[in-house]
Amino acid sequence: MSRVYNWQIGREMSYWYPEQRPKRQFAAVFDTNKCIACQTCTLACKTTWTSGKGQEYMLWNNVETKPYGFYPLGWDVNLLEKLGAQQWDGQRYSGRTIFEAAQPGERVMGWRPEEIDYAHPNVGEDDCVNGVEKGAHFSGVHLSWFFYLARICNHCSYPACLSSCPRGAIYKRPEDGIVLIDQGRCRGYQECVKACPYKKTFFNTMTGTSEKCIACFPKIESGIQPQCFVNCIGKIRFAGWISKPEAAKKDNPIDFLVHVKKVALPLFPQFGLEPNVYYIPPINVPREFLLQMFGPNVDAAIETYRNAPRDKDLSGLLTLFGSTELMVAKWKRVEEQVMGYDESGREIIRVPLREPTVIRQAFDSARGVARTNIS
Amino acid sequence: MNARNLILVVAAVSAAAFAGCAKKGPPLSDSEVKAVFEKTLPATVEDRIWERVPLHPAKLLLQDVVEPRLMQASTSFVQVQSVTDGQKIVFRLAWNDPTVDDVPGPGQFADACAVQLPAATTADIPAPQMGEQGRPVEITYWSANFQAVVNGRKDDIQAIYPRASVDHYPFEAASLKPGSAAQQEMAKRYAPARSLGNQMAGPRTVPVQDLLAEGPGTIRPAEKTLSSGSGKHSRDGWSVLLVRPLPSGVQLGGRTQVAFAVWEGSHQEVGSRKMRSAWIPLALGKAR
Repeated sequence: MSRVYNWQIGREMSYWYPEQRPKRQFAAVFDTNKCIACQTCTLACKTTWTSGKGQEYMLWNNVETKPYGFYPLGWDVNLLEKLGAQQWDGQRYSGRTIFEAAQPGERVMGWRPEEIDYAHPNVGEDDCVNGVEKGAHFSGVHLSWFFYLARICNHCSYPACLSSCPRGAIYKRPEDGIVLIDQGRCRGYQECVKACPYKKTFFNTMTGTSEKCIACFPKIESGIQPQCFVNCIGKIRFAGWISKPEAAKKDNPIDFLVHVKKVALPLFPQFGLEPNVYYIPPINVPREFLLQMFGPNVDAAIETYRNAPRDKDLSGLLTLFGSTELMVAKWKRVEEQVMGYDESGREIIRVPLREPTVIRQAFDSARGVARTNIS
Repeated sequence: MNARNLILVVAAVSAAAFAGCAKKGPPLSDSEVKAVFEKTLPATVEDRIWERVPLHPAKLLLQDVVEPRLMQASTSFVQVQSVTDGQKIVFRLAWNDPTVDDVPGPGQFADACAVQLPAATTADIPAPQMGEQGRPVEITYWSANFQAVVNGRKDDIQAIYPRASVDHYPFEAASLKPGSAAQQEMAKRYAPARSLGNQMAGPRTVPVQDLLAEGPGTIRPAEKTLSSGSGKHSRDGWSVLLVRPLPSGVQLGGRTQVAFAVWEGSHQEVGSRKMRSAWIPLALGKAR
């Protein structure tokens, strides 16, 4: 075991390997408030990567309704229960990470889903907490709530899958931090399936190896965002590169959202993996639930997000979500316009803060006809 | 004792004596595995030869040296017999296991066993825990899952989940002639491990793999699998034959070391979570 620094929990922790960060780290921000659980991302991924034999049950990307949706069943609550109380002292997590809580003989505290746990990929869909009685109406505070949580592999800085593999068959690419399972080397021991708290590695019954989300690396290598990002019709996703907090740059969109505005938060940071998909928390969900899921900065993140209409930089950057299929390395706002640039500094997208409004008259007086929606 | 009772007692004693005869197994070899010379190698686990080949009860230990470890012991002994014809060596491994675990799946693991020999036969042998860097060991690995496929289980999801219904596989599109080179090529593309030639992904003609290792976590496939084998499950457990070339540098009448491992699938044993033996002397018989 080595001692490594995990900025998300504000302290050093134990990890199987020494700290070795990639040249740059793939990261993403998902705005949970915009997700409608249409599962277009799920299908985009499914048809692209997991149409083979043995991959039928695999969802490298899935969207579940929280709190009652899980894929696989109970992926988060099972581990939360096993891990016990998870105490934060301000920005510092004083509980145990899954590496520190590993039982004797194990590298990571994990649990092994059974076949049946994968049998309900959309369990709990749209199930809300509390019943909606006849006559119920919105009166200012949502008593009934649920929200959609879109999930892919977090391409963690300290991946549990990687640390658990006794064969070293899992590696983190030095060029972009994407975590991959070497399909030539894997022998299907499923230690990674047991170890990954997010349960984003899957055993392929027909090839006898485990497989996982590859962050569409062939696309990323070409400067294009992954399939689940560009197909998202809710435009909730934004892919990019994240710096360490002390090296954060304001003109890097992910840094701006995660480090500068702190509006996007990691999923279960207390597990200790330093996951690299960041979530803008849902604004209408009880804070206790969100605190457990996204860590101690939930209140501030929601306040910042609610203030976005008065914050032209934040709302401007949010309009870049889903506006281009290319990877945006840098961004800038000039008055009412937001620009996105690629690595070389070339402008690849320009979006107005507010789309101009055009009113078409119902009657076309030049032609003397009434306009319809298709005319 | 009246005459009737006397007859019953005599009958009981005779039955016991007969049963004793029938149960008289092969001779025991406590201290080493003796590979008996035979001109013709036994082809099955039931071959009559095994009745006279010395049996070594190899004690199995927990793999509790490297993480992930096995923390709870399962199979405590594997019964080992061996025969050689001067070219090849056969090991017959038998162990108690009431359950057949030969179906792969999430959280499901196969019963398996392995024979390990030092790659080079020298007085100074490598560590029994899968060798050491620069001092490799050769491993022949048998899996009940491989055996089921060799025995005829189709390489198909329906063979494992009979009620599975799949709408469509892109490589089974109507435009592709089934079994054609183009179709096969496309199917391979959808099985990444298979396209990379990973032995775990098949296709499979023998239920064994020849592997090399230079310490825990370093297993790699040998250039070619030259070994073969077969396994059979009965009420008593598994009996497995592993047939491999003679270890390099060892001839008839020679000696080396051998080690064994057994995985109990229903006990979630896989990879380093296994029961394994220490090195055991292996003595090859002389030609007769």
